[in-house]
This record gives sequence, structure tokens and C-alpha cells, in this order.
Amino acid sequence: MSAYLAVSGVNKSFGGLQALHDTNFEITKGKITCLVGPNGAGKTTIFNVITGFLPPDTGGVTFQGRSLDGLTRQQIVHQGIARTFQNLRLFIDLTALDNVLAAIPGQAGETPWGAIFRPFHTAAVQTRMREQAREILDHVGLADRANDYVRNLSYGEQKLLCVARVLATGAELLLLDEPASGMSAGALDNIMALMRRLQTEGKTLLVVEHNTRVVQRIADEVLFLHQGHLMAQGTADEITSDPELAKIYFGGAI
Amino acid sequence: MDFWYTYIVLAEIYVLLGLSTNLLVGIVGIFSVSQAAVFGVGAYIVAAATMNDTLSFVPALLIASACGLALNVLVTLPSLRVSGDYFVVTSFGIQLLATAIFTNWTEGTGGANGLPGIPPPDIFGLAVTETRQFLVLSSVLLSLGCLAFWLAMRAPYGRLLRAIREDELAVAAAGKNILFAKVSAAALAGAFAGSAGGLYGSFLSFVDPSSFDLDASILLLTMVVVGGARTLTGSIIGPFVLLALPQLLALVDIPTTIAAASRQLIYGVLLIAFMLFRPQGLAGEKL
Repeated sequence: MSAYLAVSGVNKSFGGLQALHDTNFEITKGKITCLVGPNGAGKTTIFNVITGFLPPDTGGVTFQGRSLDGLTRQQIVHQGIARTFQNLRLFIDLTALDNVLAAIPGQAGETPWGAIFRPFHTAAVQTRMREQAREILDHVGLADRANDYVRNLSYGEQKLLCVARVLATGAELLLLDEPASGMSAGALDNIMALMRRLQTEGKTLLVVEHNTRVVQRIADEVLFLHQGHLMAQGTADEITSDPELAKIYFGGAI
Repeated sequence: MDFWYTYIVLAEIYVLLGLSTNLLVGIVGIFSVSQAAVFGVGAYIVAAATMNDTLSFVPALLIASACGLALNVLVTLPSLRVSGDYFVVTSFGIQLLATAIFTNWTEGTGGANGLPGIPPPDIFGLAVTETRQFLVLSSVLLSLGCLAFWLAMRAPYGRLLRAIREDELAVAAAGKNILFAKVSAAALAGAFAGSAGGLYGSFLSFVDPSSFDLDASILLLTMVVVGGARTLTGSIIGPFVLLALPQLLALVDIPTTIAAASRQLIYGVLLIAFMLFRPQGLAGEKL
């Protein structure tokens, strides 16, 4: 059986800096895979390559046996891969509900003619979509903040909203870029529980995470990236107990 | 009474144009200073077509609207490649180019002398000759325009456009087609501006390049800023307020040369004052 997502032989340079250097890895369906490594290891670049935000110089990505080469960002989302951003990128002048609605695919009235010439159909579909968006907000624990503007949400709530927004796309493979960074202990438990819940619902997660305690608690599999190259792959315990990797992680060896 | 009717008809035409500018600049965030050029193309098309009896008013207006649509898609295409400040400069160039054509293409536009004697609209055999009748026509068209704008903005399409203005990358990450959303918004705005132009020419029975120059584009932006960006109410209030200004100045006994200059001065001061003290305009959101 072919891998769920396979990154093979990917190279990516920015000018003289080689961000990804012959990167190869595979992830398994239904698992939570954590991508760890020191700053500048290429973790976000990997996300950008998988989701079509950056074309790789060489190499490629296959998802469920199909190559993603040459697909647009939009087509990749439709294939079932969606991502969050490290710097959130929420629509701060829209409500939490509208942020989720904006990511639900294939709505009636998303074209000017649909909106203008089929107003009743559009309104009827919107009522259903709103219901769906509310369920998603409820799922991440933000049901009571649905009508609040994003700028009035706490940082932790904004991070949950980012997860709600990727869920709204209907994607199966979720790429979460540091979903737990900067969160308080209570919020941390929340987001870890949410990730576990998503896993039991059949989602596959690829998560960039710095906090080793979070990695130990959620990761089924850990990928250790260093200087754009996959250095090690294993369970959280294997990776965290390796003294060599710890040295790299904390800046010992170059 | 005709004085008031004239004021309202002109204001209504500018509201239609204001909706177009608000859609593009306020909602999508494509900062265009060339909307007056599209307005002008609509005006000249209806003028030329109805003057030679080539077409009657209704099909001429439809063609003006379609040309406005096509033209606006063409002029906003660079905005899909260059962003923000760069696009302002590009659209500035487009506006200057349009003015040059309006002024110098004497056979088509009458050059600086303009095109006099545009016949009044003829709606399926019913001639709209009096200002009162024109008011009905412009009110009907404006109501349709407002309805279309309102429907589009309350639908997912409106939300998509707002989201694009806030963060294009995030919209792309949600799997939405940004190119299509922007191009279709430009098309809608162009159709509005083109038909506003057609109405304008047949109402005044005269068009010349001075109505469609850079000053006119800036006046339009001032209307959007003063009325309020991104809302229907704001788009309606702006033109009514700003067009009242010359009427008020006409009541004051000052020489016409000074009146024209002081009008420009007041527009300028208003624009600065609103930007500084009330960026959301009278009834809008912060630009």
C-alpha cells in the first residue's frame, strides 16, 4: 500500500540558503505526526511545499497515491489537505462565525450572479451553512463566541478558531503550524484534547510543534528535521531520549 | 422644482458610480483612481450610439454597461499582479490615458469641445424629456443597482470579498479562487460605472472630457470616504452631500471663477478632515 502522504526528494532554496535538502518522509493515515526541529530547520517550508504555496525546486509530494505536482493551492485544498498559519492569518474584522463560513467550500451565492439572481436559494443555503459553521465552532469549543469579532477573542481562542477554519474546508489531512505555541496551560490541554478528538474522527494531522511535553502527549510519530533534512523518525520517546538530537535541538552541534 | 430634480438625478447617477467605486476600493481593496474613465466610456458610448440613431437608449445603455464591465476587468487585471501602492500608480496612468483619448480623439468624442445634443432617452417609444420623468428612470435604475449591491454583499460572495481584502493568503489556504472573485468584482463595478455614464450623458445631453478626468475620479473617492466605505448607506449619502456643496455655493453671491476654485478647496479639506478625524465616513467602516 502506498503512503498516505509522501514527500520525496524535495529540495528548495531561497537564494543561497537551502531550506530543504533532499527531504523524504511519509506519514500514515489516521495518525498524529509531529514535525520537530530547531528554528530554521525547514518545517514551515515543508508546509508551504505540501500546500502549493511554494513550488519545490526538485522532488515532489504525493497524496493518496496522486501527485500534487503543478496543482494550485486551491486544487490541493480540494484534494483534502488544509493548513493553518503560524501567524494565524484570521480575518480580524469578521466574526468568528464568518471566519468559519468563509472556508466552507462550494456555497451557493459565492459568485455575483448567484448572489444577485438567485437570492432565495442563496439565503436558504446560507441558513444551512450557518448551522454547519456553528457545529464546527461548537466542536472546537467556541460556540459562545460565534458572533464576536476576531479582534475581541483571546489568543487561545484565536488559535482554536484557526483549527475551526481548517475543519470547515472539509479536508482530511490537517497541517497545523504550531497550534499550541504561546498558550496557557489550560488552553494547552484544550487544544491537545481537540487534536486527539479530531484523530478519532478520522482526520490525519501533521503538526509543527516546539513544546516537547505536547509532542510526547499527542504524537504517534515524530519527524526530526535539521537543516532541511530528515534526521530521524520514530516515537516521541525515541526522539526525545536521543542525546544527539537533543544537542542539535538545543543548539549544541551544528 | 427642476433645480431639486436635477440635483437628485445627478446625485443618483453618482450613487450608482459610488457603488461601483465602493465595491472595488472599499470592499475588495483594489485602490483604483480610474473609475471616472470607465464612467466616461459609458457616457460616450450612449452619446455616440443615440446621436447617430444607431441604437435606441435601452440597447445603447446595455452596451455601455457591457463595455464598462469589459474595460474594468482589463484595467484591474494589473491589480492581480501588482499590489497596493503599485496598482494606484498603474490606475493613475490608465486614467491619464483615458483623458488623453477623450480629449484628442476628435471624431469619436468631439475632443475638448465635447459632444452636444445627445437625445433624451427613449424607453421603448416613450421619450423621457422632462427632468421629472428622468428622475423616475434614474430612481428605478438606482434601486436595481442598490438591490444588486445589497444582495451581493449579504451573500457569501460579499464575505469572500471582505476576506480577500483582509488576507488574501488565508483565503487561498481555504481553497477559494481569488482570481475569479476579484475579476468578477471588477466586472460588476464596471457594469455599474458604465451604465451610470450612459445615464449621465443622456441626462445632461452633453458630455466633455472634464467630467471624466482625474479630478472626477478623486471626487468619487471623496464621495466614498465622506459617505462611508463598504456600506450601502455610505455610498448613498456621499454623493448627496458632496453634490449639495456646489448648489449651496451657488446661493452665496461670489464670482463664478472663485466658486469653482473654492469648491475644489472644500472637497480637498473635506477629504483630509475625514481621513484624519472620521475615517469611517458618515455611515461606513474604516477604509
